[in-house]
Amino acid sequence: MNRIKPFAYDWIVWALFLALPLVIFWQSATSLADQGVAQGGPMENAALFPRMIAWGLLGLAILNAGRLMLGRIANSSPLTPTATTRLALVVSGCFVLYLLTLPYLGYHLTTPVLMALLLNLFGVGRLASLAGGVVMSLVTAAVFQGLLNVVLPVGIFEITGFG
Amino acid sequence: MFDLLVQGAPLFLTWQAIVLTAAGIIAGLFIGVLPGLGPLMGIVLLLPVAFHLPPIPAMAMLIAIYVGGSAGGSISAILLRIPGTPLAAATLFDGYPMAQKGRSQDAIGLAITASALGGLLAGLVLLFFSPILAAFALKFGPPEYTAMALLGLLTIAIVSEGSAIKGMIAGAFGLAIATMGTDEFTNAYRFTFGNFNLTSGPHIVPVVVGLFALSEVFFQIEGGKLLDSPQIQKLRISFRALRLITAHKVNLVRSALIGTFLGAIPGAGGDVSAFVSYAVAKRTARPEDGYGEGAEGGVVATEAANNGTCGGALIPSLSLGIPGDASTAVLLAALFLLGFFPGPELFRNNADIAGGIFIAYLVGNLVLLVAGIVLVPFFGSVLKLPKAWLLPIVLLLSTVGTYALQNSVFDLWVMLVFGAIGYGLRRAHYPLAPIIIGMILGPVLENNFRRSLLISRDGLSIFIERPTSAILLALAALLVAYVLFTVIRGPAKPDAN
Repeated sequence: MNRIKPFAYDWIVWALFLALPLVIFWQSATSLADQGVAQGGPMENAALFPRMIAWGLLGLAILNAGRLMLGRIANSSPLTPTATTRLALVVSGCFVLYLLTLPYLGYHLTTPVLMALLLNLFGVGRLASLAGGVVMSLVTAAVFQGLLNVVLPVGIFEITGFG
Repeated sequence: MFDLLVQGAPLFLTWQAIVLTAAGIIAGLFIGVLPGLGPLMGIVLLLPVAFHLPPIPAMAMLIAIYVGGSAGGSISAILLRIPGTPLAAATLFDGYPMAQKGRSQDAIGLAITASALGGLLAGLVLLFFSPILAAFALKFGPPEYTAMALLGLLTIAIVSEGSAIKGMIAGAFGLAIATMGTDEFTNAYRFTFGNFNLTSGPHIVPVVVGLFALSEVFFQIEGGKLLDSPQIQKLRISFRALRLITAHKVNLVRSALIGTFLGAIPGAGGDVSAFVSYAVAKRTARPEDGYGEGAEGGVVATEAANNGTCGGALIPSLSLGIPGDASTAVLLAALFLLGFFPGPELFRNNADIAGGIFIAYLVGNLVLLVAGIVLVPFFGSVLKLPKAWLLPIVLLLSTVGTYALQNSVFDLWVMLVFGAIGYGLRRAHYPLAPIIIGMILGPVLENNFRRSLLISRDGLSIFIERPTSAILLALAALLVAYVLFTVIRGPAKPDAN
């Protein structure tokens, strides 16, 4: 247990890097085999190179697990939250909500709200947050839509802004 | 050498390229000044904009951000004792004491001047050596390219910050991501999980933006002090540094060359070259020069080396297609996406583009010399910008820029996923640069590996039958042996913080 808590992030990342080769082997044996490209010569075998990487990653992951278990890692990586970790998680939640609503409500309705919300969460006053959110969104839209001809998400209300 | 410049001049000498070079330098300086951000962040944030521009103006803008951002970090190191970028960490040894003695104006002026002149010297080296290296690499076949890509990736993975084994894991992770999408030889879908958005694999831009920008936003929020605004001394425009630097000619040239040399070694990076140059300058200085107490030579050495590294890192990047650091890896990605392949073919088939890039780098350093000094009064104002305002701007630019690439909300989810991965990796002290370099070198490595096996009559033996690939692979094997030795020997001393 005393080797897990101080290296919590190391173990989480280790699990990711252990899972990755397993996914590669699984996909090679299923999807790539079904497509008939999991064996044969170098030009026909699309699984050859990914499998080599998977073996390499697996070896490195095992080696790293050994280092972790023996405590041979120079820097610890505990799950120690700071005073503002909760704020960072709230911001991440807001961003996920933003991504979910963006295709439906469009850029011009969602982005000023997100920006104003973030500014307010970070401690900026309400009026300044509102003004800041609107100005940031409009300036960015003006550059991308007006100058670079990018079509930003219009949503169901089809608000095009500068487009 | 000059043929390239002549061929590239018509492409560069347009109002768009010149204006974007100047804008890139200014943007790079401001991004470099802000602690926590840096040239890489600047390139990442403006990468999506570059794809809406013609090739040379786009590359000129990104290279200018690289040059300006590398120099900008010194300003906060001098004024606040907080390096804006890791590249400027060594600058505070003498830059901050100079500011404490009331010479912040001189320190900033010297830092900018040394950066620009160091960058120009590196540009000349780049101009001379890149075509030679590219001409040599023209003789390479698939086995040599395979060995070179493998050695390049291993070098970067091992030399990157943190443990070598973590660097290698990160590099392998990048290679794995690069295999996603449609296989070039069989047209089979690999690891797409039935999602049509992944038929070309994840786009490199959302991956880069997620790993670097998004994870940084999360880190900065966790760091707190969102409304803090530091007190900055009043600054004014002064060209005095141009006279002061004449007393440090030898130091300037030596440091720029050290920076260029170390920059050309994949993975060595600007921070290493700045510390090495500082150590050399200090060793060769007289005791009365007072290194560590506000010596002008200390600032000149570190900053000339920093920007020398930029030119150095472009040498293997452009001539071999092997990026020297994370910033050049993203620059290479930009060049790929603009339709050009870095490496010897660039010099043979698109000499005008190579020449245009060289001119952009040289002009960028000239603009830095002027803009860096003229804009000094504004740097103080930028440093006063609280994180509460800066972070939403970074998030907004990341989001809109990433979306703009392919008008795809899916790319934003990719960005978010890689933001979370980047955060976890940074918390676990994994370097992020090898992931990007793995993604870029992955297709080069795989295609040449499979082609080598096709032309080989005896499987893998082709790699040791050809002398160049055998030498490169022997070097790669030595690097792996070194990593295994460090693993067996045990960990290094923990960081002080």
